[in-house]
Amino acid sequence: MTFRFSYGRIAHVLLWCGLAVASLGVSIPKIYSGITEYPLLSTGPLHTCDSYLRFTTGKSGASKDLISIFQSMTASKRIIIFTRKDDAFSSGLGMTTAYLASPHLVRLFEINGTHPDSELLKMNPDEVAAVVFCRMNRPNWLPSGKVFGSGLEVVPIPEKVRR
Amino acid sequence: MSALSLLGAFGTLLVAGYGLLALLVGQKTRFSLTEQIAFSWLLGIGSVSLLLWIFGLFVHGGLLPTLVSIVCLSLGFVGWRRMVPVPLRRSPTPCEIFLGIIIVIEIAIVFYLSFVHTLGWDGLLNWEIKARYAFANGGVLPATYLSDSGRAFSHPEYPLAIPFTELWLYLWLGEADQFCAKAIFPIFYVGGTFLLVALGKRLTGRTWIGLFLAAFLFFVPQITVEAGSAVVGYADFPLSIFYLATIGCLFCATEPKNDAFFRLYAAFLALLPWVKRDGLILWTVAAACGVFVILRTKKSPLFFLGFLPGLLIICGWHLYLSSMHALQAADFVPVNLETLGAHLNRILPLLSAFLAEFYNLPTWSLFWFVVAVGVAYLLRRLRDPGVLVLLTALVVPIVLYLFTYIFSNWPNYLEHVGLSISRLLMHVVAVGFLIIILAVSRRSEKNPARLHHAGVATCTMAGSERTPVVELASGNRHFA
Repeated sequence: MTFRFSYGRIAHVLLWCGLAVASLGVSIPKIYSGITEYPLLSTGPLHTCDSYLRFTTGKSGASKDLISIFQSMTASKRIIIFTRKDDAFSSGLGMTTAYLASPHLVRLFEINGTHPDSELLKMNPDEVAAVVFCRMNRPNWLPSGKVFGSGLEVVPIPEKVRR
Repeated sequence: MSALSLLGAFGTLLVAGYGLLALLVGQKTRFSLTEQIAFSWLLGIGSVSLLLWIFGLFVHGGLLPTLVSIVCLSLGFVGWRRMVPVPLRRSPTPCEIFLGIIIVIEIAIVFYLSFVHTLGWDGLLNWEIKARYAFANGGVLPATYLSDSGRAFSHPEYPLAIPFTELWLYLWLGEADQFCAKAIFPIFYVGGTFLLVALGKRLTGRTWIGLFLAAFLFFVPQITVEAGSAVVGYADFPLSIFYLATIGCLFCATEPKNDAFFRLYAAFLALLPWVKRDGLILWTVAAACGVFVILRTKKSPLFFLGFLPGLLIICGWHLYLSSMHALQAADFVPVNLETLGAHLNRILPLLSAFLAEFYNLPTWSLFWFVVAVGVAYLLRRLRDPGVLVLLTALVVPIVLYLFTYIFSNWPNYLEHVGLSISRLLMHVVAVGFLIIILAVSRRSEKNPARLHHAGVATCTMAGSERTPVVELASGNRHFA
């Protein structure tokens, strides 16, 4: 095997070696911080939901409790979820709750402000199994429900709700 | 118990994929072990998820996984009878051993990262949700889910390759487990690495170039540590590996009498729209490249039948969605001249957003700059149909993705771009690596005589580098 010397070859090798070194120089700090950023947390079957709910509400292991609440309700009735417009945490909490609310059908209401009274009044309580408030205020006329940390409340709806 | 179940799930998947590989390639073409593992994994994902969906139209409950397992094992039996030949082995050089060790360490880190991260937002709410709901409903997606407006955020219309692979794990585990589901994604990284090594060897005739570039895959932050990376359960990285397999096989199919690669190309092409909706765009580009290769290399018109499986999957999935009254996505307005005219003013801001993304160093490091250098190297080789295919497969999807944002239905379309652009660009990253591999190996093109001594750079024979078979390949066209 012979090695043929040429300026073109040297330039080619230098170019690609330079690009490789520069790429590594830019990437390694980012990759290193990415690798060392997260410790290994829970490994349970609902670990992603649990992590998110703990992050937004401060409550650990909330997913299992939410599932058992929803499963105790009539499956043919809807779960109504209220979230706040322009609040990513509220919206994320609402979608996570919708994920856990299976097999119920769900309806997500994204509203301005924190008082969903007018939307609640339009509901037919016979079709609703529960109302979920994600970083929202529960109207005083609605009975209190199960609270998960800060920002998540599930209110089971009995047959008739009276104001 | 969980480990055994996972082993069973992955084992049946690989067995099915290997059987399909054996059926597709026959016994004439040699495939290295890394290629066989990577191809088996991808074909296994495709076949198991399709089988679960198709059989799920007729049966559910315990019968569904039993039937799918029987088909997987039958495919495996066929594979065992037809054994894909492995090239003769040679001792690796110290450089190859060193690069191999680095890749093994990187793979270990990717597995670690995948277990310390939770599933990402889309990983949970677009993909895993379908696996969980199907598992709770006897292996079949509930009809109510597909039409539930309250769950429109989870895109019920998205295809099922990834969620039904997760479902396959759940059926073996006996429970829906978000932690175990993540095991799928680092295996795609392994498959991608193996494919880059193997294709690098086929394209250039030298193993070390494939190993060297495969080691660099790890150093693209968007692949390893950024939001939407390979480890958080999104479909984008798997789609990029399917696209790599499609385009890599098509590149090899440009060589005369390399029909096995064209059959593999057709199989991977068919699976693109089954992995992600955006795969339809990649399917269109890769199919156009396939038509070009058939015409340019004067293959038999029968090769056009290779597009049939993909068309069947696309039409079948759309028929299924409409028969189930599934909700349609509202992210884009209808594509017509009227909306195009109304949104033409978006083109410049979109171009600017795309350009900004290319030199977003924290996300991409110097990757796109290096790809640009590679493209510049290959511009003078445009007469080579394989090179033309690679450049088209890299550039056209990017242009089409840019074009789709013109029709974004989001109130702030630039926010839409910002949230998804890095993941869309990820689809062509692996193809970008193929371009870099070809550019780095420029030396071979300058000195074909040397190439003949070093090994061989034809897709047919590269698997047999430095073996007696190489001697028979001297008449074949050199690729690199």
